[in-house]
Amino acid sequence: MDNTQAIEAFDARVEDALNWLRDNAGFVFDATRHGLEGFFNSINWLLVTPSLYLVIATFVALGWKLVGWRFALMAGLGLLACNVMGMWGVTMDTLALVIAATIMALAIALPLGILAGYHPKLDKLAEPLLDMLQTLPPYIYLLPAIALMGYGPATSLVATVLVAIAPALRLTSLGIRRTPNEYIELGHANGIAPVQMFFKIRLPFAVPSIMAGINQSLMMAFGMVVIAGIVGSGGLGQTIYEAIRTLNIAQSIDATIAIVILTMVLDRLTQSAGTKKTGAAK
Amino acid sequence: MSTPSTASQELLIDCKSVWKVFGDKSAQAMKAIAERGLSKTEVLREFDCVVGVSNANIQVRKGEIFCIMGLSGSGKSTLIRLLNRLIEPSGGEIRIKGQNLMQLGAADLRAMRAKHIGMVFQAVALLPHRNVLENAAFGLEVQGMGKAERHKIATAALQKVGLSDWTHKMPRELSGGMQQRVGLARAIAADPEIILMDEPFSALDPLIRRQLQDEFRQLAKELGKSAVFITHDLDEAMRIGDRIAIMKDGVIVQTGTAADIVMNPANAYVAEFVAGISHLHLVTARSVLRPVAEFQKAAPQVDVQTLPRATPDADLDALIAIMVGAPDHAVAVWDGANLLGVVTAKALLKSVQEKPVHGAAEA
Repeated sequence: MDNTQAIEAFDARVEDALNWLRDNAGFVFDATRHGLEGFFNSINWLLVTPSLYLVIATFVALGWKLVGWRFALMAGLGLLACNVMGMWGVTMDTLALVIAATIMALAIALPLGILAGYHPKLDKLAEPLLDMLQTLPPYIYLLPAIALMGYGPATSLVATVLVAIAPALRLTSLGIRRTPNEYIELGHANGIAPVQMFFKIRLPFAVPSIMAGINQSLMMAFGMVVIAGIVGSGGLGQTIYEAIRTLNIAQSIDATIAIVILTMVLDRLTQSAGTKKTGAAK
Repeated sequence: MSTPSTASQELLIDCKSVWKVFGDKSAQAMKAIAERGLSKTEVLREFDCVVGVSNANIQVRKGEIFCIMGLSGSGKSTLIRLLNRLIEPSGGEIRIKGQNLMQLGAADLRAMRAKHIGMVFQAVALLPHRNVLENAAFGLEVQGMGKAERHKIATAALQKVGLSDWTHKMPRELSGGMQQRVGLARAIAADPEIILMDEPFSALDPLIRRQLQDEFRQLAKELGKSAVFITHDLDEAMRIGDRIAIMKDGVIVQTGTAADIVMNPANAYVAEFVAGISHLHLVTARSVLRPVAEFQKAAPQVDVQTLPRATPDADLDALIAIMVGAPDHAVAVWDGANLLGVVTAKALLKSVQEKPVHGAAEA
């Protein structure tokens, strides 16, 4: 059959391309891998070096300041529960993965989002790409990454970054584009320069939208980091994956509880950071 | 209400046959208008372009408050935005303080807006994340002035609009009227000679609106500012403006003092507009006086020097009070040592007649 032949040929090409990349550009991927793992390890080091009580106290303090004492109390108890279940180490691994992936995703998404906000054409171009990033099953990103960078946290970071880019980029672009016209006019009528227009007018109005985007990206990163357990990311994702393989239901439920706690804590914290910033006096 | 003293002042705004045509083919439309004299509807049909402002001429002198009155869609908001080039004109010449606005580069235009032209918006547009003081200092901040200095100047500006106790409040904590005062303080903080007021009081309730109108006029006169004031409310225009331009469909139909417009409307549209306006408070000795020669021809036996006297700004009440005691039913109008003319009882009566459209001038 012609069709099968064509598809076989296509598949062979893809494989060849991946092999070629690994053979000829291996050093690039090795370097990337070292860089990513280094970044992950340093964040992880920050989280596991101090006493766990110090880390929990930091979360409680942040929760108290940004959300309220009730949330702070619940967050503290929840994180303690993670430790009681014997999951402190893996929980911090997951947190480090999420933080590292989100920081990298934002480093890409925020500047691009601002550019897209200024240039409607770029925004139109980005739309289908972002749609694709968001609708493809997240597993897809794991395969090429594992082929090029092997088993480990670097691969899961790459996949997580890809998934987390879209929401922040979209909402940043939207926030920049949606500056109310009367304020643009106000700026021009006062003889404002383009840079000032961005920092003094467009950005302050875009902050709520951008913060919502950051929050969404963080949540996407959480989802992906759990899935990435299969490629040896370490952390709770891998704990769950292994529990599933060995049918250790109790362990998988413990890990799930830890994930839910961590997700809720980070979600509330970043949400309030967004509203507090824009609602407060300064 | 006319202040003839501004007539000799420096010309700050000078627009000569300014046009604005909106649309993709505005350049072709402008050409066709110039060559074939197309009407507004023809331009719309042929080029799918909307004529926003057509052939507008405006002169505003230092210290003068110039109102542009028109209903929505009359092009008044477009016209005021042409004056600081927030909207690019399609044709004509706009000179601000003698400088051709169209020839300014981006940096010069910014400097012109920052230093010489303030603007107050209908929507106020206070930045919600800054307090009152920081909002009032916005223009100075944009100019790069240091914090201490700009806050000092902004505080002084807020004091002028009566908000010195509110500097550290957020905009949302203020009433609509107070917010617009902050808008005004922001516009005058940079000490521009010209203030553009784009329907600033339209959204306020009537009592506050009146109060702000009076305050604004007083403040502008005190500081010697020129203002172009947009409104859809003829009462407001007459209350505030030294001169008024009436716009319809992008065309300035008539320009003149409130008295000119009410007493001598240029066409049926303006006449209909001013029909509901009581013109009694517009009657001044200046507006009803007749030349001395004319009076002497009708009453040669009377010596003008012996007539009771009034100043040119004497209003209807004052004129009646004098007229009642005048044996010759005439009052001489003196501006200092100059005899300007004579107000006769007949002219005064005609001036208070309703719908004096065709009578008053010939009295």
